[in-house]
Amino acid sequence: MASSAHTRPLSEVEIRVKALESLLVEKGLIDLAAVDALIDKYEHKVGPRNGARVVARAWVDPAYKARLLSHGTEAIAELGYTGMQGEDMVVVENTPEVHNVLVCTLCSCYPWPTLGLPPVWYKSAPYRSRVVIDPRGVLQEFGLQLPESTEVRVWDSTSEVRYMVLPERPPGTEHLSEDELAALVTRDAMIGVTKVSA
Amino acid sequence: MAITAAQALAASASDGGSTRLEVDVAPRFAAGDRIRTRNINPRGHTRLPLYLRNCVGVVAADLGVFVFPDTHAHGGDQKPQHVYSVHFSAKDVWGREGGERDTLVVDMWDDYMDPA
Repeated sequence: MASSAHTRPLSEVEIRVKALESLLVEKGLIDLAAVDALIDKYEHKVGPRNGARVVARAWVDPAYKARLLSHGTEAIAELGYTGMQGEDMVVVENTPEVHNVLVCTLCSCYPWPTLGLPPVWYKSAPYRSRVVIDPRGVLQEFGLQLPESTEVRVWDSTSEVRYMVLPERPPGTEHLSEDELAALVTRDAMIGVTKVSA
Repeated sequence: MAITAAQALAASASDGGSTRLEVDVAPRFAAGDRIRTRNINPRGHTRLPLYLRNCVGVVAADLGVFVFPDTHAHGGDQKPQHVYSVHFSAKDVWGREGGERDTLVVDMWDDYMDPA
Protein backbone atom coordinates (compact mmCIF):
# COMPACT_ATOMS: atom_id res chain seq x y z
CA MET A 1 0.00 0.00 0.00
CA ALA A 2 1.21 3.48 -0.79
CA SER A 3 1.01 5.97 2.07
CA SER A 4 -2.68 6.45 2.80
CA ALA A 5 -2.12 9.74 4.60
CA HIS A 6 -2.43 11.60 1.32
CA THR A 7 -5.28 9.69 -0.22
CA ARG A 8 -7.79 9.25 2.57
CA PRO A 9 -10.84 11.52 2.20
CA LEU A 10 -10.95 14.50 4.54
CA SER A 11 -13.34 14.40 7.47
CA GLU A 12 -16.22 16.85 7.61
CA VAL A 13 -14.44 18.94 10.25
CA GLU A 14 -11.23 19.08 8.20
CA ILE A 15 -13.18 20.23 5.13
CA ARG A 16 -14.97 22.88 7.18
CA VAL A 17 -11.69 24.16 8.68
CA LYS A 18 -10.08 24.32 5.21
CA ALA A 19 -13.08 26.21 3.82
CA LEU A 20 -13.00 28.70 6.70
CA GLU A 21 -9.26 29.12 6.37
CA SER A 22 -9.39 29.85 2.63
CA LEU A 23 -12.21 32.35 3.12
CA LEU A 24 -10.31 34.16 5.90
CA VAL A 25 -7.19 34.29 3.72
CA GLU A 26 -9.11 35.46 0.62
CA LYS A 27 -10.72 38.25 2.60
CA GLY A 28 -7.32 39.29 3.94
CA LEU A 29 -8.37 38.68 7.57
CA ILE A 30 -5.60 36.22 8.42
CA ASP A 31 -2.05 35.68 7.24
CA LEU A 32 -1.24 31.98 6.79
CA ALA A 33 2.28 32.59 8.10
CA ALA A 34 0.77 33.85 11.38
CA VAL A 35 -1.42 30.73 11.67
CA ASP A 36 1.58 28.49 10.98
CA ALA A 37 3.70 30.34 13.55
CA LEU A 38 1.07 29.83 16.25
CA ILE A 39 0.54 26.16 15.40
CA ASP A 40 4.31 25.57 15.43
CA LYS A 41 4.63 27.31 18.79
CA TYR A 42 1.91 25.28 20.54
CA GLU A 43 2.81 21.98 18.83
CA HIS A 44 6.58 22.14 19.32
CA LYS A 45 7.60 24.76 21.88
CA VAL A 46 4.86 25.04 24.52
CA GLY A 47 3.53 21.91 26.18
CA PRO A 48 3.39 19.78 29.30
CA ARG A 49 7.20 19.48 29.45
CA ASN A 50 7.10 23.06 30.81
CA GLY A 51 4.72 22.06 33.60
CA ALA A 52 6.87 18.99 34.31
CA ARG A 53 9.87 21.27 34.95
CA VAL A 54 7.78 23.28 37.42
CA VAL A 55 6.71 20.10 39.24
CA ALA A 56 10.25 18.67 39.40
CA ARG A 57 11.61 21.95 40.78
CA ALA A 58 8.91 21.95 43.48
CA TRP A 59 9.81 18.35 44.40
CA VAL A 60 13.49 19.15 44.95
CA ASP A 61 13.26 22.69 46.34
CA PRO A 62 10.92 23.20 49.34
CA ALA A 63 11.24 27.00 49.21
CA TYR A 64 10.22 26.98 45.53
CA LYS A 65 7.31 24.66 46.33
CA ALA A 66 6.09 27.07 49.02
CA ARG A 67 6.23 29.98 46.54
CA LEU A 68 4.49 27.87 43.87
CA LEU A 69 1.57 27.06 46.16
CA SER A 70 1.20 30.60 47.53
CA HIS A 71 2.04 32.70 44.41
CA GLY A 72 1.64 30.37 41.43
CA THR A 73 1.91 32.89 38.58
CA GLU A 74 5.16 34.42 39.90
CA ALA A 75 6.77 31.08 40.77
CA ILE A 76 6.00 29.67 37.31
CA ALA A 77 7.36 32.86 35.72
CA GLU A 78 10.67 32.23 37.57
CA LEU A 79 11.17 29.30 35.18
CA GLY A 80 10.21 31.48 32.21
CA TYR A 81 6.69 30.20 31.57
CA THR A 82 4.36 33.15 31.03
CA GLY A 83 1.86 34.33 28.46
CA MET A 84 -1.67 33.86 27.25
CA GLN A 85 -3.90 31.63 29.43
CA GLY A 86 -1.31 31.65 32.20
CA GLU A 87 -1.84 35.16 33.53
CA ASP A 88 -3.43 34.09 36.84
CA MET A 89 -2.18 30.68 37.96
CA VAL A 90 -3.15 28.73 41.06
CA VAL A 91 -1.31 25.46 41.77
CA VAL A 92 -3.00 22.87 43.99
CA GLU A 93 -1.10 20.07 45.73
CA ASN A 94 -2.10 16.42 45.71
CA THR A 95 -1.47 14.57 48.98
CA PRO A 96 -2.60 11.23 50.43
CA GLU A 97 -5.48 13.20 52.07
CA VAL A 98 -6.63 15.33 49.12
CA HIS A 99 -6.66 14.49 45.42
CA ASN A 100 -7.30 17.45 43.09
CA VAL A 101 -8.63 17.10 39.54
CA LEU A 102 -9.31 19.88 37.01
CA VAL A 103 -12.14 20.53 34.61
CA CYS A 104 -13.80 23.42 32.80
CA THR A 105 -17.49 22.52 32.62
CA LEU A 106 -18.31 25.71 30.69
CA CYS A 107 -15.76 25.28 27.87
CA SER A 108 -12.09 24.22 27.85
CA CYS A 109 -10.08 26.62 30.08
CA TYR A 110 -6.56 25.26 30.52
CA PRO A 111 -3.12 26.65 31.52
CA TRP A 112 -1.38 26.94 28.11
CA PRO A 113 2.12 28.12 29.15
CA THR A 114 2.65 25.11 31.45
CA LEU A 115 0.48 22.38 29.89
CA GLY A 116 0.15 23.43 26.23
CA LEU A 117 -3.17 22.96 24.47
CA PRO A 118 -5.81 20.74 26.14
CA PRO A 119 -6.27 17.13 25.02
CA VAL A 120 -9.46 16.32 23.11
CA TRP A 121 -10.98 14.34 26.01
CA TYR A 122 -10.57 17.35 28.32
CA LYS A 123 -12.78 19.38 25.96
CA SER A 124 -15.33 16.59 25.46
CA ALA A 125 -18.84 16.86 26.90
CA PRO A 126 -18.66 13.43 28.63
CA TYR A 127 -15.53 14.34 30.66
CA ARG A 128 -16.81 17.83 31.51
CA SER A 129 -20.26 16.69 32.61
CA ARG A 130 -19.25 13.50 34.42
CA VAL A 131 -16.15 14.47 36.38
CA VAL A 132 -18.10 16.93 38.53
CA ILE A 133 -20.79 14.43 39.58
CA ASP A 134 -18.82 11.15 39.51
CA PRO A 135 -15.12 12.01 39.83
CA ARG A 136 -14.17 8.64 41.30
CA GLY A 137 -15.85 6.80 38.42
CA VAL A 138 -14.04 8.97 35.84
CA LEU A 139 -10.68 8.57 37.63
CA GLN A 140 -11.14 4.81 37.61
CA GLU A 141 -11.51 4.93 33.83
CA PHE A 142 -8.08 6.61 33.78
CA GLY A 143 -6.81 3.70 35.91
CA LEU A 144 -6.76 5.59 39.20
CA GLN A 145 -8.51 4.02 42.17
CA LEU A 146 -8.44 6.27 45.23
CA PRO A 147 -9.06 5.09 48.79
CA GLU A 148 -12.39 6.14 50.31
CA SER A 149 -10.43 8.10 52.93
CA THR A 150 -9.00 10.47 50.27
CA GLU A 151 -11.05 13.60 49.61
CA VAL A 152 -11.53 14.23 45.88
CA ARG A 153 -11.56 17.95 45.03
CA VAL A 154 -12.88 18.84 41.59
CA TRP A 155 -11.81 22.32 40.43
CA ASP A 156 -14.23 23.78 37.87
CA SER A 157 -12.39 26.68 36.14
CA THR A 158 -15.21 29.16 35.69
CA SER A 159 -13.13 32.35 35.98
CA GLU A 160 -9.91 33.66 34.38
CA VAL A 161 -7.81 31.84 36.98
CA ARG A 162 -6.04 28.80 35.51
CA TYR A 163 -5.26 25.79 37.66
CA MET A 164 -2.52 23.18 37.63
CA VAL A 165 -2.06 20.15 39.89
CA LEU A 166 1.20 19.51 41.73
CA PRO A 167 1.20 15.69 41.78
CA GLU A 168 2.67 13.60 44.61
CA ARG A 169 6.31 12.66 44.18
CA PRO A 170 6.38 8.89 43.71
CA PRO A 171 8.14 6.84 46.37
CA GLY A 172 11.57 5.46 45.52
CA THR A 173 12.67 8.54 43.57
CA GLU A 174 14.90 10.08 46.25
CA HIS A 175 18.05 9.37 44.18
CA LEU A 176 16.76 10.97 40.96
CA SER A 177 17.97 14.32 39.63
CA GLU A 178 15.61 17.20 38.84
CA ASP A 179 15.83 16.37 35.11
CA GLU A 180 15.10 12.70 35.73
CA LEU A 181 12.12 13.63 37.91
CA ALA A 182 10.76 15.99 35.23
CA ALA A 183 10.86 13.11 32.74
CA LEU A 184 8.45 11.13 34.96
CA VAL A 185 5.79 13.85 35.14
CA THR A 186 2.89 13.45 32.74
CA ARG A 187 0.30 15.88 31.44
CA ASP A 188 -2.51 13.78 32.88
CA ALA A 189 -0.97 13.89 36.37
CA MET A 190 -0.92 17.70 36.19
CA ILE A 191 -4.64 17.67 35.28
CA GLY A 192 -5.14 15.25 38.17
CA VAL A 193 -6.62 12.26 36.34
CA THR A 194 -3.60 10.06 37.11
CA LYS A 195 -0.69 9.91 39.53
CA VAL A 196 2.99 10.04 38.62
CA SER A 197 4.64 6.63 38.78
CA ALA A 198 8.35 5.92 38.99
CA MET B 1 -5.12 44.14 7.66
CA ALA B 2 -4.34 40.67 8.97
CA ILE B 3 -1.87 40.41 11.82
CA THR B 4 1.58 39.10 10.94
CA ALA B 5 3.34 36.03 12.35
CA ALA B 6 5.48 38.25 14.56
CA GLN B 7 2.42 40.04 15.93
CA ALA B 8 0.62 36.74 16.58
CA LEU B 9 3.58 35.34 18.51
CA ALA B 10 3.98 38.56 20.49
CA ALA B 11 0.28 38.47 21.43
CA SER B 12 0.49 34.85 22.59
CA ALA B 13 3.50 35.68 24.78
CA SER B 14 1.88 38.72 26.40
CA ASP B 15 -0.08 38.76 29.61
CA GLY B 16 -2.65 41.11 28.15
CA GLY B 17 -5.35 38.45 28.22
CA SER B 18 -6.06 38.75 31.92
CA THR B 19 -9.33 40.31 32.97
CA ARG B 20 -7.93 41.07 36.44
CA LEU B 21 -8.46 44.74 37.33
CA GLU B 22 -6.21 46.77 39.62
CA VAL B 23 -9.07 48.77 41.09
CA ASP B 24 -10.23 49.18 44.66
CA VAL B 25 -13.60 47.49 45.13
CA ALA B 26 -14.90 46.40 48.52
CA PRO B 27 -15.30 42.61 48.78
CA ARG B 28 -18.75 41.38 49.88
CA PHE B 29 -17.31 38.19 51.36
CA ALA B 30 -14.25 36.90 53.19
CA ALA B 31 -12.64 33.49 53.65
CA GLY B 32 -14.79 31.35 55.96
CA ASP B 33 -18.12 32.97 55.01
CA ARG B 34 -21.04 30.67 54.21
CA ILE B 35 -22.76 31.66 50.99
CA ARG B 36 -25.74 30.60 48.91
CA THR B 37 -25.48 30.90 45.14
CA ARG B 38 -28.25 32.86 43.48
CA ASN B 39 -30.82 31.13 41.35
CA ILE B 40 -30.27 33.32 38.32
CA ASN B 41 -31.08 32.14 34.81
CA PRO B 42 -29.98 34.89 32.44
CA ARG B 43 -30.67 34.60 28.71
CA GLY B 44 -27.12 35.75 27.99
CA HIS B 45 -23.62 34.80 29.10
CA THR B 46 -22.91 33.68 32.66
CA ARG B 47 -20.13 31.77 34.40
CA LEU B 48 -22.41 30.44 37.15
CA PRO B 49 -22.79 26.76 36.24
CA LEU B 50 -26.37 25.48 36.08
CA TYR B 51 -25.53 22.69 38.55
CA LEU B 52 -24.48 25.24 41.18
CA ARG B 53 -27.54 27.46 41.41
CA ASN B 54 -29.12 27.81 44.85
CA CYS B 55 -26.31 25.83 46.52
CA VAL B 56 -24.64 26.50 49.87
CA GLY B 57 -20.84 26.74 50.00
CA VAL B 58 -17.97 28.22 51.99
CA VAL B 59 -15.59 30.90 50.72
CA ALA B 60 -12.00 29.60 50.82
CA ALA B 61 -10.06 32.50 49.27
CA ASP B 62 -10.48 35.92 47.69
CA LEU B 63 -8.82 35.79 44.25
CA GLY B 64 -8.97 39.54 43.59
CA VAL B 65 -11.00 41.89 41.40
CA PHE B 66 -11.98 40.87 37.87
CA VAL B 67 -14.24 41.98 35.04
CA PHE B 68 -17.79 40.62 35.44
CA PRO B 69 -18.35 38.47 32.34
CA ASP B 70 -22.16 38.47 32.46
CA THR B 71 -22.30 42.16 31.53
CA HIS B 72 -18.98 42.57 29.72
CA ALA B 73 -19.57 39.67 27.31
CA HIS B 74 -22.49 41.60 25.86
CA GLY B 75 -20.57 44.84 25.43
CA GLY B 76 -21.79 46.25 28.75
CA ASP B 77 -19.98 47.47 31.86
CA GLN B 78 -16.88 45.80 33.26
CA LYS B 79 -18.69 45.90 36.61
CA PRO B 80 -15.45 45.14 38.55
CA GLN B 81 -15.96 42.80 41.50
CA HIS B 82 -14.22 40.20 43.60
CA VAL B 83 -13.93 36.58 42.55
CA TYR B 84 -13.64 33.93 45.25
CA SER B 85 -12.65 30.32 45.39
CA VAL B 86 -15.70 28.62 46.95
CA HIS B 87 -15.92 25.07 48.30
CA PHE B 88 -19.14 23.08 47.92
CA SER B 89 -19.68 19.67 49.45
CA ALA B 90 -20.48 17.13 46.72
CA LYS B 91 -23.22 15.80 49.01
CA ASP B 92 -24.87 19.25 49.19
CA VAL B 93 -24.73 19.71 45.42
CA TRP B 94 -25.67 16.22 44.21
CA GLY B 95 -27.58 14.68 47.10
CA ARG B 96 -27.06 10.96 47.56
CA GLU B 97 -25.13 10.69 44.27
CA GLY B 98 -22.45 13.00 45.67
CA GLY B 99 -19.29 11.48 47.17
CA GLU B 100 -19.37 11.47 50.97
CA ARG B 101 -16.00 13.22 51.36
CA ASP B 102 -15.74 14.97 48.02
CA THR B 103 -15.67 18.69 47.24
CA LEU B 104 -16.30 20.96 44.26
CA VAL B 105 -14.18 24.11 44.15
CA VAL B 106 -15.56 26.79 41.88
CA ASP B 107 -14.71 30.44 41.23
CA MET B 108 -17.63 32.74 42.06
CA TRP B 109 -18.15 36.45 41.40
CA ASP B 110 -19.79 38.67 44.07
CA ASP B 111 -22.95 38.94 41.96
CA TYR B 112 -23.49 35.17 42.07
CA MET B 113 -23.81 34.89 45.86
CA ASP B 114 -25.74 35.93 48.94
CA PRO B 115 -24.77 35.32 52.58
CA ALA B 116 -26.18 32.01 53.85
